[in-house]
Amino acid sequence: MIRNDLSNKKPLNILEKIEESLERLNDKIEVMIELQKSGGGNVNNQKNSLALPDASLDVMTLLSMPDHLRKTAMAICRCSRATAEEIAEQTKRARAVESAYLNQLVIMGYLKKERKGRKAYFFIDKETQS
Amino acid sequence: MSKIIAVHSYKGGTGKTLLSVNLAATFAKAGKKVCIFDLDFRAPSLFAILKTPHADFWLNDYLNNTCEIDKALINLSSRIPGDGKFYACLANPSTEAIRDMSSKDRKWEMRALGRLLALRETLLKDEKFDYLFFDTSPGLQYSSINAIVAADFVVVATTSDRSDVDGTKRMLAELYNLFEKKTGLVLNKVLDASATAKKAEMAAKIKADYQVPMLGMVPCFCEILRAEGNLIFVQDKPDHPFTKILAEMAKKIETNEVT
Repeated sequence: MIRNDLSNKKPLNILEKIEESLERLNDKIEVMIELQKSGGGNVNNQKNSLALPDASLDVMTLLSMPDHLRKTAMAICRCSRATAEEIAEQTKRARAVESAYLNQLVIMGYLKKERKGRKAYFFIDKETQS
Repeated sequence: MSKIIAVHSYKGGTGKTLLSVNLAATFAKAGKKVCIFDLDFRAPSLFAILKTPHADFWLNDYLNNTCEIDKALINLSSRIPGDGKFYACLANPSTEAIRDMSSKDRKWEMRALGRLLALRETLLKDEKFDYLFFDTSPGLQYSSINAIVAADFVVVATTSDRSDVDGTKRMLAELYNLFEKKTGLVLNKVLDASATAKKAEMAAKIKADYQVPMLGMVPCFCEILRAEGNLIFVQDKPDHPFTKILAEMAKKIETNEVT
């Protein structure tokens, strides 16, 4: 019985781990693609140049953002905390697109990202912005 | 359906507060549960117009995170006939509070936007309010833009004044459009709008000029000027043309027919 359970679960666990790793890789690739699009080279340099020391997602910042990022940023303002999939439902854009924009907002210092199991949550860090 | 309605304008004196109060009162008279918020922290006026008793908590306190929203609401339902509910959440008019609100930084404004957005959950969902009205300060103030971002629909009050027309056009293109907000234009203080033919002609011209839907046109009524902002017009003069115009606007908002 126990052996049966293990033999059933093990491949599933392995597959979940692979999927999780693939999602992480996917997120990283999307960030790199986004940075390349906006003229960046080295990821670390880009991070340093874009991130503001006290970046706050206030309305004047929203106004100054390019349209594609503003849409994502406004959606996260409404949710406070959400996955790329939840944001995509609001904006009616593809999950992968939202994932890239959300990661870009993280790099710019406006959002924080937290992984819980297989899901990545994006949120406005009001603690450090107080 | 639009549940949170911000009333905004480019310039001051376009009739935002009169429109907000009377639109909110129109919905309350029709049996809805509504609340009007004074977001003009630099020149609070709602407390004077509504002649409210002394408030223990203000909208300032809610945005400062020193009280929950229920503490800052004042129930004025007894002033409106029928079963509707009419609440107000006021801006603190003391000089100290005005000074305090004008010295807030970007991070505070960001958190204030979060508190305004949270009203959708606390008031609309939990407390079953039908409509929230944000009476804003004119121009591009933080508090006004926060209100616009949090709203579903923006009523833009304007007049025929040249400086107001140009500024309003700019705001429509550079503010509401960028935030993808539904807007409805109210042309206020219209002179010589008695003839129906003239009204239709003016409405067509304005629609072509501003490229946004018209919510309504309000003639310049001497009675409103004489009242010196001292009444909830919809309640005190139910048969006045202004009351009827507001009822038409409310119907358009409710049925989502702003064209």
